Amino acid sequence: MQYNCNIENKEIIFLSHKILELNKQLIESEKAKSRFLSLVANELNNPMTALLGLIPHLKPDRPEENDIFSLAHQEALLLNFRIQNLVAAAAVESGELEVSHVCVNVESIVHDVVKELHYLIHSKNIIISIHNTLEHSVVSDPHKLHLILKNIIANGCTYGFINGIVDIAISESSSNFTIAINNQGYPPKVEFKPEIFTRFANGPAGEHGLGIGLSIVRELCECMEGSIDYVAANRMVTFTVTLPLLKSTSESDLYDSNEFLFESFDDAIEL
Amino acid sequence: MILTNSTFIHVGQIHIDIAPKAISTVLGSCVSVCLYDTTLGIGGMNHYLLPFWNGNGLQTPKFGNIAIPKLIETMIAKGAHPNRMKAKIFGGAMMNTTDVSNTMMIGEKNIMVARKILQEYSIEIVAEDIGGQNGRKIQFDLKQGKILLKYASYQNIT
Repeated sequence: MQYNCNIENKEIIFLSHKILELNKQLIESEKAKSRFLSLVANELNNPMTALLGLIPHLKPDRPEENDIFSLAHQEALLLNFRIQNLVAAAAVESGELEVSHVCVNVESIVHDVVKELHYLIHSKNIIISIHNTLEHSVVSDPHKLHLILKNIIANGCTYGFINGIVDIAISESSSNFTIAINNQGYPPKVEFKPEIFTRFANGPAGEHGLGIGLSIVRELCECMEGSIDYVAANRMVTFTVTLPLLKSTSESDLYDSNEFLFESFDDAIEL
Repeated sequence: MILTNSTFIHVGQIHIDIAPKAISTVLGSCVSVCLYDTTLGIGGMNHYLLPFWNGNGLQTPKFGNIAIPKLIETMIAKGAHPNRMKAKIFGGAMMNTTDVSNTMMIGEKNIMVARKILQEYSIEIVAEDIGGQNGRKIQFDLKQGKILLKYASYQNIT
């Protein structure tokens, strides 16, 4: 029995070596894409921020140009959202993604996101309904939470029916808080479920999860020690983000993510 | 001695710093590769969960074959030289005998990837504490280029 087990282990290690060799080719072929991602994120971010600041101050010469200016602003906001995703993807891939812990009001983040997506919500005449049973602030990373919610709510609006409702429910359990975003719309097909949260997944145009947004959402949730999943039934899709519940205290306003796991190095071995 | 100016890294993070800073993490079946440029006092640590990136999702340093080359390349970009780099590897434990990660030999594969890639870059492994059934807490003191290691008692460690 022991002998068989050793043989199996050796085979697994041998096959692992093979996988490592094959994987090298895959990484090489993807390297250019990753470099491009990082470059685009850095090069576009600053001018885009400047543009977004300037556009609202432009005054059209004629009243009929208002629509054009408004359209330009919407497109700039959309482009900025995409750049935010590219910046996040580049940060995740670089391994330099750090989680900060501050007191956040989840509902106010949802309101901020809805405000930023007003162009999308308005264009499809979608009603946003928010139900919040989480009455206190939580300790979390506000920027990551913002981007997570922005992606899911934007998806809910993009793939939801015109004149539909996007329902956002914030709640808590003993150790987690959850944000469930439900929209009326054609759900992603069950067979695509394993690929939904992967980058640039293949599939027919217009389906869920074909871009980069949900892969970023998953990575951000995981780096905050949370998770994301979805259920779909009867032309309804619900994406649920679950994150650990750290209630705010005066101390937790101050601490960073670095400290609390290490209590002592007494009797440590030095190597 | 525990250093107060220590940066804690989670799964999928890479951190590079210079003496007198320190970098720390907690490991279960995950592996950390610690690199140190003995002349410049530049050191870096990664913390990866799985051995191989499978082509899906982002190319994050949660995977050994992404995290180790990225750590080496970032060290080089910060001025370290591969000829002067020494490596220490930690983790790869079999935390729970009923756990699925053990039947897949995740810890062992994580260790194998570290050894193989460091060998390809001709970086010598000068110390290691790997395998076993205990989690580990490690702190990399960049002033001395030494690792303080303590076995962790709790189970919910990756």
